[in-house]
Amino acid sequence: MDNGPKMTKYDERSPERVKQRFTVAPRVDVYENANELLLVADMPGATKESVSIQLDKGQVTIEASRAEDMTGPSLVSEYRPTDYARVFSIPQGIDASKIDAQLSGGVLRLRLPKSDALKPRRIEVRSS
Amino acid sequence: MLRQLGEFDRTFSMLDELRRRMDRMWEDWDADEPGFSTQLSSAQAWPRVNVFDTGSNLVLKADVPGVNEKDLHISINQGALSISGERKHDAPQGYAVHRLERGAVNFSRAFSLPIPVDADKTTATIKDGVLTITLAKAPEAQPRKIGVQTR
Repeated sequence: MDNGPKMTKYDERSPERVKQRFTVAPRVDVYENANELLLVADMPGATKESVSIQLDKGQVTIEASRAEDMTGPSLVSEYRPTDYARVFSIPQGIDASKIDAQLSGGVLRLRLPKSDALKPRRIEVRSS
Repeated sequence: MLRQLGEFDRTFSMLDELRRRMDRMWEDWDADEPGFSTQLSSAQAWPRVNVFDTGSNLVLKADVPGVNEKDLHISINQGALSISGERKHDAPQGYAVHRLERGAVNFSRAFSLPIPVDADKTTATIKDGVLTITLAKAPEAQPRKIGVQTR
């Protein structure tokens, strides 16, 4: 008798999930020199079309979706293809119009050039 | 009758819990990728692979971002498939390093194949950092259709 209400609420407790997508943060290297910041990210399976990079309010967001590539019954399953997403705060003085992204072999290279005001400058000493 | 339904319900709750645990396991697995945890070390289980059976072929897929095709060696020897190679460190010259998560990797993995394959018809491609090895099943391992006759 006690189980009656439990039975009716079962569906509410565990709604059926149609498809759950997993997202991981891609592994990145971050480098800097006098002219630019260079961000290198491992995103295997990401294509040029699937990657989106957005710069907003001092944050750069890298995202990529990846298709499930099951081609038949699975014999070994050590990983599942996941989407990628990661957000970075970037310092002020990045020239947003010159940001360049390049994807090759599953590795994304994002170049964030510094604006001229941030670049190191040599000050000439005058003699008077 | 009601008691039986209760049992039924509990069984499903258990299955549900199992599914949750499995999901969590996957998430942990994704978060803690072996092989990259230490920098510049040789990795035991890298790359991770998925293998599918497509009927006439076995298809092996592995994530190998940043590995050049010439640094990858694949061989089939007596029913064992081995993949070895290295991912070189690709740090640019003259840059200061803020963060290093992508190590260089030396890797070697071997798989015993469950069925005989035709080594001559095996192909391997790398696209977008994903290695796909297509192993053609040997003729005796190909699926065969048996016709049913009426009498």
